Amino acid sequence: MGALQKKTKDTKSVDRLYKIFIYVAMITLAISIIIPVAWVFIASIKQSSEFYGDPWAMPKGFYWKNFIDAFQEAKMGGYLLNSVLVTGMGITMLLALALPAAYVLARFEFPFRKTIRTFVRAGLFINISYIVVPIFLMLLEWDNGLRGMGGAGFFLNNRFILALVYATNALPFTIHLLSSYFETIPFDFEEAAYIDGASLFKTMTSVIIPMARPSIVTVILFNFLSFWNEYILALTLMPGTKKTLPVGLMNLMAAERAATNYGMMYAGMVIVMLPTLILYIIVQKKLTQGMTAGGIKG
Amino acid sequence: MKVDRTKQKNIFAAICLAPALILLAVFLLYPTIEVFRMSLYNWGGFSNNKEFVGLSNFKILWDDMKFIEAFQNSILLIVVVTLVTLVLSILFAALLTREKLKGANFFRIIFYIPNILSIVVIAGIFSAIYNPTNGLLNSVFGMLNLESLQRLWLGDQSIVIYSVAGALIWQAIGYYMVMYMSSMASIPESFYEAASLEGAGRITQFFSITLPLVWNNIRTTLTFFIISTINLSFLLIQTMTGGGPDGSTNVFLFYMYNQAYTNSVYGYGMAIGVVVFLFSFLLSAIVNAVTKRDVLQY
Amino acid sequence: MNKKYLLAGSTLVLSLALAACGTGGDTADSTVDTGTTGSDVASTSTDVAKEDVTLHIAALESAYGNEVWDRIAEAYEEVNDNVTIDLTLEKNLEQVVRPNMQAGEYPDLMLLAVAREEGLTETLIKEKGIEEITDVLDMNVFGEDVKVKDKMLPGFTDTLVTNPYGDNKTYLAPMFYSPTGLFYNKALFEEKGWEIPETWDQMWTLGDQAAEEGISLFTYPVAGYLDTLVNSLLYSSGGPDFYDKAMNYEEGIWVSEEATEVFDTLGKLGEYTHPTTVANANPNDYIKNQQLLLDNEALFMPNGTWVVGEMAEAPRADGFEWAMTPAPAIDGGDTYAYTFFEQMWIPSEAENIDAAKEFMTFVYSDKAAEIFAEAGAMQPIEGMVEKMSPENQVYYNIYDEGTLPALGGFASTKPVPGVSMKETLFFSMDSVVSGNTSVEQWQKDVEDVSGKLRDAKE
Repeated sequence: MGALQKKTKDTKSVDRLYKIFIYVAMITLAISIIIPVAWVFIASIKQSSEFYGDPWAMPKGFYWKNFIDAFQEAKMGGYLLNSVLVTGMGITMLLALALPAAYVLARFEFPFRKTIRTFVRAGLFINISYIVVPIFLMLLEWDNGLRGMGGAGFFLNNRFILALVYATNALPFTIHLLSSYFETIPFDFEEAAYIDGASLFKTMTSVIIPMARPSIVTVILFNFLSFWNEYILALTLMPGTKKTLPVGLMNLMAAERAATNYGMMYAGMVIVMLPTLILYIIVQKKLTQGMTAGGIKG
Repeated sequence: MKVDRTKQKNIFAAICLAPALILLAVFLLYPTIEVFRMSLYNWGGFSNNKEFVGLSNFKILWDDMKFIEAFQNSILLIVVVTLVTLVLSILFAALLTREKLKGANFFRIIFYIPNILSIVVIAGIFSAIYNPTNGLLNSVFGMLNLESLQRLWLGDQSIVIYSVAGALIWQAIGYYMVMYMSSMASIPESFYEAASLEGAGRITQFFSITLPLVWNNIRTTLTFFIISTINLSFLLIQTMTGGGPDGSTNVFLFYMYNQAYTNSVYGYGMAIGVVVFLFSFLLSAIVNAVTKRDVLQY
Repeated sequence: MNKKYLLAGSTLVLSLALAACGTGGDTADSTVDTGTTGSDVASTSTDVAKEDVTLHIAALESAYGNEVWDRIAEAYEEVNDNVTIDLTLEKNLEQVVRPNMQAGEYPDLMLLAVAREEGLTETLIKEKGIEEITDVLDMNVFGEDVKVKDKMLPGFTDTLVTNPYGDNKTYLAPMFYSPTGLFYNKALFEEKGWEIPETWDQMWTLGDQAAEEGISLFTYPVAGYLDTLVNSLLYSSGGPDFYDKAMNYEEGIWVSEEATEVFDTLGKLGEYTHPTTVANANPNDYIKNQQLLLDNEALFMPNGTWVVGEMAEAPRADGFEWAMTPAPAIDGGDTYAYTFFEQMWIPSEAENIDAAKEFMTFVYSDKAAEIFAEAGAMQPIEGMVEKMSPENQVYYNIYDEGTLPALGGFASTKPVPGVSMKETLFFSMDSVVSGNTSVEQWQKDVEDVSGKLRDAKE
C-alpha cells in the first residue's frame, strides 16, 4: 500500500517536471514570436532618428506622423484599396474555379482523370519567380495585339488580370487541398441527392460544397495571405501607378545612398500586416477545423 | 440509362474542369514552356537579338562554381529547415493535442502568427535580432553570461546560412504545427486509452499511434517544405542579406534573378530556373518514394 | 588667346542656334536618328519643338530627395512652353521601369548611374539600348551662350563610363558628381591629437594607436563602396595608363606588381576593419556601418558626399564633424580621389529623343545647377564650387590640394554568364576581412574574371 502510494507520488512529480518543461518550451517559443511582432508595432511609432541606435529601445513618444506620412506621402491608402480589390477578386475567382474542379477530380471517374491530377500536382512546383517574365511578355503581346487593332492596352496594369493570375497560380495547391477534403465525404450524400432527383450541378452546389465550409475557410485564409503579401507579380504586371501594398512597401525600404524614413517604413509594415492579423484572428478557430476536415492527406 | 449517366457525368466533369485547366494552361503551363525555351537562348532581356545557343547555357552552368555554391546552400537550407521544423512542429502539435495544457488555444494562435507576416517584415525583425552589438540574440546571451555563444550572425560565413535557416524555421513552425494538429485531432481517443491500459507511456504512444497515423500528412508536407524553402529563402535573402557576405547566402532563385537581370543574361537565368524546377520535382518524387509506408487507417 | 577664339566661335554658333532655339537642335539630331533602329523615333524627330511634348523622365530617388526634381521640372516648363514633364521618382527605379521598358514603354530620359545593385544601366549598355549623345555636347546649354562641352568640367566625357564602347562617342551624360575618399570625424582626430595619415605606413601606425583605444581603423557600408577606394588606389599605384589597361582587362594586369600592391594594401586594411562590418554589410543593415563613424567606433570609411545628407538624422558623438581625405598614395605614386558621378541617358527606344536632348542641355544651365546645388547635388560644370555651401566646398576642394581626380570604370563587354567583375573585385573583400579568402586567391580570381571578360570584349 505504502509502496504504491510512493510510486504514484513519484510519477506525479515526474509528471509535474514534465509539464513544467513543456510550458517552458511553449512559453519560450511564444515569447520569441510575440516580442518581435510587438517590436514592429512599437517601431512604427518611433521617429526616424530613433532608429539609428539600439533597435530594442522603447520609443520616446507616440509619433503618429509616420502613419499620416505613409498614407499621404507614400500613398499607402490608394495601394491599400488596390490590394483589397486584387485580393478580393483573386479569392472569389479562385473559389469559383477550384471548387468544381476539385470536386470532380475527387469524386468522379472519367477519362484522363489521373493525367489531369498529375498535371495539376506538377503545377505545385512551378514558382512565380521564374514564370513572371514569360507571363508579362505574353500579356504584353496581347496588349500590343489590341493596340495593333486600334484598341488600348488592356492586360497589363489591370487589377482584374493580376487577380486572375494570382487565382491561377494558387489553383494547384487549392485543388489539392480541397479534393483531399472531398475524398473524405461518404458517397451516400450524393446518392441521396440523386434519388431525390437533384442534378449534378445542384448536388455539388447545395450538398457537397456547403459541407466543405471549414476547408473553404482554410483556403481563403491561406490564399489571402499569399495574395496580400505577393509583390513580384504585382510589381511586374502592374508597372503603372496602381500598385499594391507590398510593392509600395518595397519603395519605403532602405536603399543605398538614400536617406530612409525608417518611421514611415515601419508604419508601412504595420499597414501591410494589420489586415492579415485581423483576418487571422477572426478565422483562426476555423483554421484547425478546416484542416482537420481536409486532413490534407495527400 | 447507365450509359447516359456516365456520359452526363463526363460532360459535367469536363465543364467543371475546363475553366481551371484552360487558365492553368495559359498562365502556368505556357510560361513554363517559355522558361524552358528561353533557356536555350542567349538574350539580354531587352533587345530583339535573341541567339539560339542550344544547351550551352546548361554546359556553362555545370562549371559555374557560384551556381554550385548556390545549389549547396539551397540543399542545406531545405534539409535543415525541413528537419528542424518537422521535429519541432510535430512535437508541439503532439503536446498541444495530447496534453491537457492550460492556454493550449493561446499557444496555437500565437505560433501561427509568423506565417501570416510578409517576408519583408520578417527580414526587418531578424535583422534586429541578429544585430551584432545590440541584437536580441547577442543581448540575451550577454544577459545570461554566455558571451561565448555570441556570434556575428550575419557576418560569419560559416554560420550565416544557419541564421537564414533560423528565420525560415521561425516562420514555418506554426503553419506545419497547425497542419499536424488537425490530423492528430482526428485520431480517436480510444486508441490512446487502449494503449494506456496496456501500460504504454507517452513516448511509446507517440511512436506507435500518433506518428504512424499522421505519416501520410507528414509525407505531403515534405513536398511543401521543398517548394516553400526554395521560394521563401529567395525572398528573405533578397531583403535580408543580399546574398552576402560575398555570396555565402546565395540560393537558387537569388542566383537566377541575379544572372537574368543584374548580369543581363536572361537565357542563362532561365536555364537556372529549369534546373530548379526539375530538381524540386525530382527531389519531391524521391522523398515521396522513400517515405512510402503502408497507410494505417483508423 | 585660345579661349578668346573659343568664345568668339561659340557666340557665333550660339546666335545661330538661338535664332532657331527649338528647331536648331533638331536638324542636328535628325542625322543621328536615322542611324538608330528605334521604330517610333523617326516619326517624331522633324517638328518636335512646335508640338507639345510630354517628356517622361525617370530618376532615381536618392539622398538628394524628390523635391529637387519637381523644382527642375517646374523651372523647365516655365522656360520651355511646349514641354510638359512627367516624372517617375523611385528608390527602386530599376524594378519599376524594367517591366515598362520590356513593354516597349521607355522613359525619354533616365537618371540612373552605373554600378548599381541591379545593373540596369549596364544591361542597356550591353544591349546597345542607349542613344548616342555626342551631338548634345556640341549643343548650347539651354538659354545660355555656351556649348555643353565647354561648360562641363574637363575629363568627364572621355571616360569609359560615358563612352562605354571606347570609341570616343558619348552615350551617357555625366550628372551629379562627388569626390569620394575616406570620411572621418574631424573632432575625434583633434581630440586625440592624431594626424591624418599621408602614407599607408602612417595609416597602419594610426590603426595600431586607435586599436589601443578600442577604435577600429576602417569600415565600409557594403563592399560595393570599395569601388571608390580601389579605383583611387589603382590610379595611384600605376597611373592613368595602367588604370586604363586594367579597365580594359589587359592580360596579366591584375597580377602585375602595381595591382599586387593595391591588393596587399586592401588585404592589410581588412585586418584593421571593424569586427561587425561584414555582419552589417548587407542591404538591410549597411547604415549601421556608417553609424560606426558617428559613434567614434571606426575612423575611416570610403564614401561620397551624399553620406552627410543620408545620415543627417542619425545621432552622433559630441562635436562630430564630417571630413574627408583622399586615400594615401601607394608608394611613390600620386594621390588620387575617385570622382563618383551619376549618369543621365536617353534610351534608344525613347519616343521624344530630341526633346530629351534639349532637356539634357538644360540640366547644365546655371538655373538648373542652382536648384540641384541647393539639394546638395553638384553638376560637373565650371563655377559650381563657388556656388556651394562652405561645408560642401571642403569636399569639392579636395582636388585643389594636390590630389588628382580619378574617373572611369570598366569597359563594357558582352555579358558572360556567371561572371561579375563587381562581385569578384569588391565583394570578395567581405571574405578577406572575415578570413575566408586569402589576398592571393582574391587577386587570382580577379585576373581570372578579367580574362573571361576580355574574351567577351567586342
